[in-house]
Order: sequence, then C-alpha cells, then structure tokens
Amino acid sequence: MGDIRQSLLPRDVLSAAKELLYHLDIYICNLVQSGRQPPQVDSKTLDLIEEFILHAPKDRNASARRMSALQELQLLEIMCSCFQEQSRDTVRQLMFSALFGLQGNAADESRMALLGKLVSMAVAMGRVPILECAATWLQRTHRVYCVRLAQVLVDDYCSMVPGSVPTLQNIHSASPRFCCQFITAVTTLYDLTTEELTPPIELLQMIVSWIQEDPRLVLITFLNTPLTGSQPINSLDVTPLGGLVRWCVKAPLAYKTDKKQTPTHERSENVPEVGPLFSTLHLSVLQVLMLLPNILNEKGLFGRMGLLQLDSLAALTSELSRLLDQADKHAHASAADAHAAPQLALDRLAQALQVAKANGALLCSREDMRAICSRLPHNNLLQLVLSGPVMYYNNIHTPPLAFSPHAAHSPIASHPALPTHAAHSPIASHPALPTHAAHSPIASHPALPTHPAHSPHTPLAALPASHAPYPAQPFITGMPFPFRPNH
Amino acid sequence: MLSDPAMSVVCDGGPLKAMQSSHSLTAQTTLSAQELSQEIKSFISGVDAVHGRKLSVREHARCAVRLLRSVPACREAVLEHLRGVYDEHVSAFLVNLETEGSSTSGGNSNLEDIIQEVHVVLSEFIRLNPRAWAPLVSTWAVDLLGQLSSKHAGRRVAPHSASLNELLQLWMSCAATRSLMEAYSQCLAAMLAWCPDACVDALLDTSVQHSPHFDWVVAHIGSAFPGTIISRVLACGLKDFCSHGAKDQGLLMMGMDKGNRIPKIGSVVGILGHLAAHHSESIRKELLRMFQESLSPSSPLSPTSSSTSWESSPQLRRSAVPFLLQLAAMSPNLFGAVSAELVEQLRPSILLQLQALLQGLPKEELENMLGLAVHLISQSPTGGARVLKFLADTATPASVIISGPTPSPHEGVREGCDRLLQMLLLHLHKLVFNRSDGAEVSPHTSASSQPQRVIPFLEELRSHVAQLCAETLRLERKRHLWLHQLLCLLAVYGGPSVATETLCQLLTQARNPEELALAWQLHTNLSSCMAGLIPAAVAHSVAQIHTHTLGPRQLKQLLLNLSIAIQSQDEDRKGGGAQSSMAVQVGSAVSGHLHDFCPLLLHSDAAVSHSTARLLSCSPLPRTSSPAHLLLLSRAAVTHFFMALRKRVEAGNVGRDGGQAGEAVNCSVLILSRFAAYSPLTLKAILQQLAEGALHKGNADLFGGQVADMSGAPVTNPSLSSDLGASLLDINCRFSTSVNFSGSVWSVFHAGVIGKGLKHRTASQHPDPAGVIWNIQTLMEVIVQCCTSSGLNGTPSPSDPDEPLPINAEAAKVIAVTLVESVCPDVANGELSWPPEEHARTTVERDIHIRRCFEAHPVLFPLLQVVAAGRPALCYCSAVLRGLMATLLAHWEAFREASSTDSPWHLQASCLLVSCMGEGQLLPPVLANVHEAFPHLNPFEVRLLLLAVWEYVRGNGPLPQKFVFSSEKGMFCRDFSRDGDVARYVAPIHSVLHKNIDRLGHLCWRFQL
Repeated sequence: MGDIRQSLLPRDVLSAAKELLYHLDIYICNLVQSGRQPPQVDSKTLDLIEEFILHAPKDRNASARRMSALQELQLLEIMCSCFQEQSRDTVRQLMFSALFGLQGNAADESRMALLGKLVSMAVAMGRVPILECAATWLQRTHRVYCVRLAQVLVDDYCSMVPGSVPTLQNIHSASPRFCCQFITAVTTLYDLTTEELTPPIELLQMIVSWIQEDPRLVLITFLNTPLTGSQPINSLDVTPLGGLVRWCVKAPLAYKTDKKQTPTHERSENVPEVGPLFSTLHLSVLQVLMLLPNILNEKGLFGRMGLLQLDSLAALTSELSRLLDQADKHAHASAADAHAAPQLALDRLAQALQVAKANGALLCSREDMRAICSRLPHNNLLQLVLSGPVMYYNNIHTPPLAFSPHAAHSPIASHPALPTHAAHSPIASHPALPTHAAHSPIASHPALPTHPAHSPHTPLAALPASHAPYPAQPFITGMPFPFRPNH
Repeated sequence: MLSDPAMSVVCDGGPLKAMQSSHSLTAQTTLSAQELSQEIKSFISGVDAVHGRKLSVREHARCAVRLLRSVPACREAVLEHLRGVYDEHVSAFLVNLETEGSSTSGGNSNLEDIIQEVHVVLSEFIRLNPRAWAPLVSTWAVDLLGQLSSKHAGRRVAPHSASLNELLQLWMSCAATRSLMEAYSQCLAAMLAWCPDACVDALLDTSVQHSPHFDWVVAHIGSAFPGTIISRVLACGLKDFCSHGAKDQGLLMMGMDKGNRIPKIGSVVGILGHLAAHHSESIRKELLRMFQESLSPSSPLSPTSSSTSWESSPQLRRSAVPFLLQLAAMSPNLFGAVSAELVEQLRPSILLQLQALLQGLPKEELENMLGLAVHLISQSPTGGARVLKFLADTATPASVIISGPTPSPHEGVREGCDRLLQMLLLHLHKLVFNRSDGAEVSPHTSASSQPQRVIPFLEELRSHVAQLCAETLRLERKRHLWLHQLLCLLAVYGGPSVATETLCQLLTQARNPEELALAWQLHTNLSSCMAGLIPAAVAHSVAQIHTHTLGPRQLKQLLLNLSIAIQSQDEDRKGGGAQSSMAVQVGSAVSGHLHDFCPLLLHSDAAVSHSTARLLSCSPLPRTSSPAHLLLLSRAAVTHFFMALRKRVEAGNVGRDGGQAGEAVNCSVLILSRFAAYSPLTLKAILQQLAEGALHKGNADLFGGQVADMSGAPVTNPSLSSDLGASLLDINCRFSTSVNFSGSVWSVFHAGVIGKGLKHRTASQHPDPAGVIWNIQTLMEVIVQCCTSSGLNGTPSPSDPDEPLPINAEAAKVIAVTLVESVCPDVANGELSWPPEEHARTTVERDIHIRRCFEAHPVLFPLLQVVAAGRPALCYCSAVLRGLMATLLAHWEAFREASSTDSPWHLQASCLLVSCMGEGQLLPPVLANVHEAFPHLNPFEVRLLLLAVWEYVRGNGPLPQKFVFSSEKGMFCRDFSRDGDVARYVAPIHSVLHKNIDRLGHLCWRFQL
C-alpha cells in the first residue's frame, strides 16, 4: 500500500484523495478476505491517509497542501458514496476507523474536522451506513472527542442553519444507534454548568420528542452491545441515562438562574418554556428506568450491572447542593418562586434515585445514598426515599432525615430491587397514566406534560372531574403517605 | 439595473422579502435526504443531477443558496462558491460601466437578484444567530471584499486608490460589494457586543493584505462605527505591538523600515489616517485617553474599563506609551493631532506616573523610546516652541534663586528631560549638519540651488527666534546652554537670514557683557560656515532702526552693545584675543552705516542719543564716504554737541546725572574731533557749524550770550503790548520806521525814543557764570582739537609731544570766515585793508551791530583768539576787527570818566582785540603789547593808543599773503621787517608812557623797539 505514494504525489489534491480512497477500499477488502484476526490496517496506510486525505503537515518545513472548501465537499461526497456503496459492514467499519480512528497525533485535529463535516453531511443526506459507523466510533472514542462531534452537529443543525432541526430529527429513524450515542454525547456535553453548556431549546425539544416517542431508544446501545466489560477507558456511558437524570435534576435551578440573569432574553418570548419539556423528559427517563428490569433479566445482568454509577450521582448531588446554596443566596425577593425550583430539583432527584434503585439501575445501599445526599437541604420526598419504607412502619412522626438507629437498622437487604417490588413503587402503581398522576409522588410536580398550561401554584384546581373521588389536597409535610407499599 | 422588476421589489421591500424567505425556509427544509444528495451532486458538478444539463451561473448559485439553508456541512463550500458569483457580478458590473451600458448585459441584473437572495439569507442567519454566523460571515465578507477590491483595482473605470471617495462611490454602487459591506456591518454591529477584537482583527489583517485597495472598506466601516473602530483599532494595535515586543522598534524608529515588520501598526495608522479626515477630534481624544489610562494607577474596578479591554493588563499598559510613540512616528497626522495637547497634559503628577511606568522597562527599550521621542520632536511641525519650553522648564534644575511658577519636578523626571533635551540637540545637530553636506562650497549658493531636507521642528522655531533669544539671555543655569546650542543649529539651518536675525536679537536684547558674550559665541560658532554674518546683522539692525520697529530701550541697548563690541577690539589688541577679528568686523560694518546711525544722535530719548554718541565715538570711520553723508554726520554731531552741553547745564542745575551728561559731552567732543580729522570737508563743515551754532540764538545762552536785538526795532513795552488790538495805522507807522536801511549812509538806528530814555534791553537771566565758562572751555576744546588735528594738510606733528599742536591755518580760516558771516551783516566795505580812521563814520551802523554782537556773545573773543592762533586766518576777520575797533574808538572818545576801568566791558574788549591782533600777527609785538597798559590809562589815552594801532594796520594791511610758512615752527609767520618802520606808530605809545611813567614804568620794556 505504501508504494502508491509516488503515484499520488504528482496528482492534484482531490484526485489523490480519491485515488487513495479507492486503494484503501481494495486494501481493506483484501485484508478482510485474508481472514487475519484481528484485521489491522498498517501504519504506512495510516500515514498515507494523513498525508493525502487529512493533509496533516508531515514535517514543519513542508507546508501541507490544502483543499479548498469545494474540493473538500467533493471529497466528502465521494466518501459518502463510498461508504454507501460498500456492502460489507466489516470493511466499512475498518475503513471508517482507518480514516477517523484517533491516532493521538497532530493529524487528529483535521481528522476531527473532516469527521464532523462528514457526519453532518451524512445526517443531511440520510447516509445510514456512515451514521452506523459513527455510532461505533462514538462508542470507542474518548468522550472528549465524542463531545466535540456532538458539538459540531448541534452547532450545525440547531444554531447555524435555522429550520434544519428536522433533518437532525431524522437520525432517530435513520440510525437509532447513532441517535442514542448522540444523546449520550450531548448529555455529556451539556452539563448545565454554564450558559454555554445549556442545551439549545431545539435540541432539548428534539431529544424529548425522541425519547417520548420511543423510550427504548436510550437503551439501544446497551441492548446491541455485547457486554464484554472491555469498554474503552473514558468512553461515553453506555446509556445517556446518567446525563438525562442530571439534566432533569439540575434544570429547574440552571434555567432559573439563567432567566434571572437575562430577564429580557428574547427566547423567553416566543419559545416554549423549558419546564414542561424537562418534566416530560423526566417522566420518560423514569419510564425507561422501569423498563430495565426485564431487559436486565433477559441479559442476566440484573443486580450485577448498574446503568447509573454512584460516583456520577455523587457528583450530581454535590453540584446540586452547590446550586442550591447559590439559589439561596440569590433568592430573597421572590420567596415563593425561589423555593419551588429547588424543591422540584430535589423531588426529581428523589424520584430518580428511588426508581433507579428499585429497578436495578443503581446498585448501592441506602447508606451510600444517604452519604451522597447528606449535604442536600430538606425535601420530603427525598427524606422518604432515603429513609426507606421501614421507618414509616415504626414512627411516622419521626423527624425525617434524622438518621436514627431505626434507619440504620432498616432491613435494606429485605428490599432487594426485585422486579416484583417494582410494582409496589409509587409510580409503578400508575404506570404511564399521567391523568392520574395527582396521586403519585410525581403529582407534587404540577407541570406535567398533559398540563403544560398550568402554573405551578395551582396544581389541582383545574383537574378533570375524574379526580373527584380523591381528596384534592396538596402533599403536606407530615401527612400520611397516601400510597404505602403494601408489605 | 432598474429594468429588472424583481430587483426593484427586493430593493423596496427588504424586510418583507426577508419574511417571505423565512416562510419559504420551512418549505425548503422539507427536502428529502435523497433530494439533498441530488442537490449536493448538482452543486459539486455544476450539472443538474436530474436532467443532466449544465447549470447556469444563476441556477448554480440558487442551488448553493439552497444548500446553505439545508446542509450545514456545505456552508464553507457554498461561501467559497459564492465568492466566484460575487466576483463575476463585479466583473460584469465593471464591464458594463466601461462600455457605458451600450451593450445590454443581461447577466448583470440576473446575478444581482441572486446576490440579493444571498444577502437576505445571510443577514437572516446573522440576525437569528449572531454568535455563530457573525464571525464566519464577517471574515468571509472582509476577505472577499479585499480580494475583489485588489483584483479589480487595475480596471479602467476603477479610480485610483488614492481617491478614496470615488472608490467608495464606485464600490457602493455595485450590488455585490455593497451587499458584502452591509453584511459585514451587520456582523460588526452584532459582534461589537461580545468580541469586538476578533472582527477588527480580521479587518486589520485584510487591510494589511490588500492595502491600499482595501482602504475604502476600512474608511466606510470606520465612519459607520467611529467610536468603536477607533478605540478597537487602537486596542488591537496595542496588543499586536505588545506581542511583537519592542525589538523591531529600533529599525522602525529612524524610518528606515517602512515594511510590514509590524504589520498591524501599519494598518492601524492607515485606518486612523482615513478616519482623521472626519473624526480627528475623537481620534485625538482616544489617543489621549489611552495615554492617560496607561498612566493612571491600575485599578481593576475602574468603571471605564471593561474586562476585555487593554487597561486591565499591566503589560499592555506598559507598552501603551511606546505604542503611541510608534504610532506618532508613523503618522504625522496622528502625531499632529496629539502633540499639541499632550504637552499640556504633562503635569508634574503625570510625569511622575510616567516615570514610574517607564522605570520598569528594559534599558534598550528606553533608549529606543528616547530616540523615537527625539525623532518625533524634531519632525513635529507645530507646537515645537511649547515642547521646547516644557522640556527646558522641566529639565532646568530647581534652584533656590530662580523659582519657577511650577514646583520643582522630581529629580528623576528632571534628569530624564535633561537627557531627552540633550539627545534632541544632538539629533538636530546631526540633521542640520548632514543636511548641508554636499553644499559646503558656498552657503549662499547652496541655499538656493540644493533642495534641502526640511526639519519641521526648526522650521517652526524660526518664528520664535526672538523668544528663544530672550530665554537664552536669562542665563539660567543650564537652560541658556541648551538654548544657545539650539540657536546655533537654528541659525545654521535657517541660513543667513535666520542667523542674522538671531544675532540681531541677541545684540538687541543683551543687557550686559556676559549676555553679549553669548552673541559672540554664536558668531564664533557660525563664522565657520557663514560668511558676512556681522555686516548682515548690522544692516538688519539698521533696517530695524529705519522702520522704527525697535523701542527706545532696545535701540539704546543695541547701540550700546555695538559700541561695546567695537571697543572690545582695543582690549583684544592688547590681549591678542581671538575676538579681535569679530570686533573689527563689527567696526567696519558699523562704519559703513554711520550715516544711518547719526540721526539717532538727535533722538528724543537721551539714552538713545547718548548711546549713539558712544557708538559713533568709538566706531572707526569709513574709508570712503559720500559728501552728503559726511555733511549729515557732521551736522548731527554738532547738533548733538550743543544738545549735550545743554543737558550738562540742565543736569548741573538740577544736580543729578551729571556724570552721564558730562560723558555725553566728552563723547560728543570725541566724535567731533574724529570727524574733523577725517577729511577737510568734515573739518570745514564741523568748524563752520560749531561757530555758527555757538552764536545761534538757541545756543547763545550756553555761552553766556544774550539774544541781542540786532534789528534795532523798538522793544515793545510789556505794559503797552498788552494792547493787542493795535490799529493798522500803528503797525504801518511802525513798519515805516522799522524799515531797515542798514548799509546805507542814511540808515537810521534807534537808541530809543526821544522822551523815553534809552531803549530797554530785554532782561535776560544770566546763567551760571561758572557753567558758561565751562561751556566756553568745552567749545574751545572742541574747536582747538578740530583745528589741531592733522586731517587738513598733513602738517608734521612737532617733535615735542608736550607742546600743543599748532592751530591749522585753514581751519582757523574757516572759523574766521564763519565769524565774519555771522557777526558782520553786510559785506559792503568788507575789504581786508583798513581805511583811514575817519572813514569809519560811513559804517557806523554796521560797527555798532558788530559791537553788539560782541557784547551779546562773550564766546566771540575766545573764537577770535583761536582764529588768531591759526595765522594768517585773522586777516579774514579784518572787517569785524575794524568794526569793533571803530566802535571802541568812538566809545573811548566819548567816555568822560577818569579811568578806563570805569567802562569794564570796553576795556576788556579793547584789550582782547589788541591781543588777538597781536597773536594773529596783524600787529608787531610792540604794538600788540599796548593792551597791557590799557587798564592804567584814562579813556583818552586808550583811544590814542588804539588809534595808533589803527594807523599801523591802515599802513600795513592785514593781508594773508604777507605771511610765510615757517617749516621749523610748523606754522605761518609774518616778517614785520618787510613792513614799514614801526617807530612812527610807537611814538604815541611812548608819549603816553612818559606821561604816566609813575604808573607805567614797569611796562616800559614791553615797548622797546
């Protein structure tokens, strides 16, 4: 393969790249047919790619030839067709990783740039094979680069070109695997710490609609990947669940501060409120979590593999407590409004913890949970979740979060996250019935997707008449919990 | 252009179109993936992927726009493609212009609507998401603008890049460039809020790349966003400057490297230069603000500075001053804008801050800055005087004695300024002397023939020469050294005219020898390269005198200084100093202008006339001079002499300032004697005028004279004359009686009106007799000096220096003639020889007039004595002597007192007359001695003796030809032996002696023959 360099040199930039692609195709076909395991592209070929496709400067004094944007577009188009026409997955994958697998050298920058454009173009043109390859790339690559790729796509479709969101939306149908990896990357990228790291509203809407439409989407990678345990270090999480939980929990606080800083932000005028979107998302996440026991059992992984990691949750709770501190400092004037957001965040955290734990997504003891939540302010639901069901049998008047000996003695082991128990969890009693949500703990969150128009302070006033048999009262501290696990 | 309806719609309804396009957006995004891929293929290949035909430029561009809207990954390729479209449109536009629209090019208008579409799309994108699009589009637009402007710069219709306005007009009338410009403006407006540096950076980079064709863009943008652009451009330049470091400055400083070594600063200068036309005020403010901000102690919470601005970085603040210097060095415009106010800003506190700031800089950088500052000052066209004053003020060491209005600055600051000033002088020195390198043959020709490099600093200072001179002459510590050096440079730079003026100023303003020494130093420095400086300076001074531009004090000073200069010659001769040549030059220059100075002798200001006298008294006399000038000179000198005498009298009366008045008289005497010695003409003129002047009624009182009433007209009684309403008859009567028949036998003269006694003499106050004597002495001294000077006919000086020089005969004759003219009113009977005594009756009136003159003017006798000493000049006074003698004879005849001493004046007159005649050798010694006996005789005897004298003179006429020059005595002498026997004339004397032997015995030996 290295011998073609001399023939490539005199050609112009574009035709040399084309020629190289052609030879690469043949070379990889041969490689696969030779049946060597594992098929490995040699370093000379990689060098050629860097020289003639990525145009990385070989040495300092020789200035690399550059492609014009038009030539680059042509090259991308050729690549698209090339991947499209290649029928064999293995070859395609090998070729893709030969082209875009990061080598840790100077060429990586141009590699990333070209990859970004290629994927962006593939999204526009609906090139499924490329998206599939990109999904695999996203699984194998360090999360920093994954995040960069996601950033490119978000920039391209959500901010640069107005009205092109639908194109991006299509990847859900085109390549669910890529879609899932994309969500993971995006949730990793946007951690809601700063304004720049807050997802654009279009992106949020898109993701919410995806997951709402098909909750299993977030598990696609997990489902399709043979869990060998040989995940590359620092790659993306298998599922976006952790990131999504973080979004839902931090959103009330993050968007709160955002609004406060820029009260005349133009988005607040004609763009839908983000609150309902996150509520929907949160619900979807919980629903996905509740799908898990079956899937885990099928794979025989229940109780053995947690999709949510305790350390990432710990990070989340510490961030949350920091945010809450900030919110406390800033919130003096509008007390009512100021309290609603933190409580909402804490509620969501409690719900996620409870559901994840109950469905085997989070493998930890209640002690661990208490430890990571120890710095959070008071929240009824969280208190309930942390103290566990036992506490209420003994003394419902015991002050919450008073890590009493009872709590310490609570038979955690007697509450294994068995699938049967899942039915007794508060939500499980009304699976996917938003109209009855007033009776579930989630009901304390007023802005449910079905009632997006309701303001947070009038949660029940406009409920349909079907709710009449139930006492229409808000959840009050110290009140008996309406739905107890029926042990 | 207007033929296309679509275009006009777009133009009319921009926002509407934008709305429509945003609606159509959704329609376009519904393109399926398949369609998109077709679209991309078409775009890449330029062929319709579906129908397989080639796309027109227009369709291709449309396709590109669609891709821009739907496939984000294509945007760079699309923008690149659009470059071609824009370029094509510009070409078509220019071709259309060149053909004056004769060929209707349809492609032009077609592309125009495409460009409009692109513009709409882009501006919508920028509006919706400025953060993402503005940097992208601004870079693209600026780059494309640069490319287009430089590519088409050579077109026939394109105006030259220097004519910015036409260029701007052309490009703004082209849809493509206008659209790009608008897009860029939009981007800039959006980006100013959050990253203004980036877009200005791009602008600067492009400007560097495509200068000067790109200038119109910068100018347009700059005038659209003046405030921002100015401050941003400055900030960018500063950052760039800072990051480049100061290592390149050294080369740039001397203006040797105008290249792109510091690329951005070049374009910063260019841009600001463009903006300076309309926004010079704000540029100046901005530059000054930058200066101030860089100095003010760093306060991170300063309200004016945002977090991104340069003020927050100490490093940037430190390089602000070098940066500003650099800017100023590169653009005279900017420098001019700032320099004027900058000096005002440099108060002591600011200077301290500046010093604190600069102390942190490395040494070589400081050196560079210093050099740069020096360069700038020397190139500054205006405000040089102020800068100089500031520097000198600041650099002058604080003194206990001289305390300026400002408190003494910090010592470090002072040293800095001192250094700066010295370097400035050194630099100017180099400039000045390198400049005239090729023209050392003759400074006069070089000034005209060779175009010389202009040094603006000196150019401006030319008009401040007077102030500089005044400052220099204050002799303040170091300051005058600097200024003196500067004056030298200025003089060399400005050539003879400035040099002359400088020297003149110094001469006029110097008040003491130390100050005057500066002028000579200046001359010494300049004499090597400039000839004829002193004559020119003197001529210039004379011109000033003529135009009356100098006040009395300055005039006085100038004259004094000149005379000091000339006098220094004498001292130098003794010491053999180097200045002697200069003193000689001054002397000769002044001598050529003596006649210009002489009117100043009569200046109303005593000090001026005195100093003129001093100058004239010490100035050498010209080798040749025209008679007119000489007469003028002598007249002025004589007039001055009498004025000086009068001053002395007045001073003596008042009792003050006698010294100066006396000195003035001395000067005057000196002048007169020197002039008299100069030439026969002057001698004659002076003597004549002296004699006339002494008898003139204006001066008579000085010498004890009275204004004699010579006409004989009745003196109006004060009591009567009060009746001014005199009748015409009265006047007529008086006229008839006052008709002067003098000269005729029948002339009538009045001694009074019958019945009223003798006519009244006008009462005159007799001046101080001592003063009169002194004045007469002085006059005699002058006249004697004049007469003894060897100017007239080269008489050899006697061997014995103690013996007084003999009176020159010719000079004495001049006096004699003058006396006759003034004393003796008519020339009838004016022959030299004497008639018989009886004939005197015919000339009674004249004789009385003569006698009255002698009465009125005591000075006449001394004058006569002088004349007598200059034998044979007294002969020419014969008529006067005769007249006086006749009246004396008549008097003694009629006098009835016992002793001659009872009529003292007549006695004295008789004595003096006879002794004079004896001295003048009109009488032999025996006869001449008779006057010794007069006081001892009675009037009749006096008359007898006088008669004897008369007889002798009648017998031996007083004729000059009887005198023979005796070379051993050095004068003329009369040999009485040739005349007749004296004895018969001596007989009356002897009989009188015999008669009065008891009293006159001791005199007998005087009358031995």
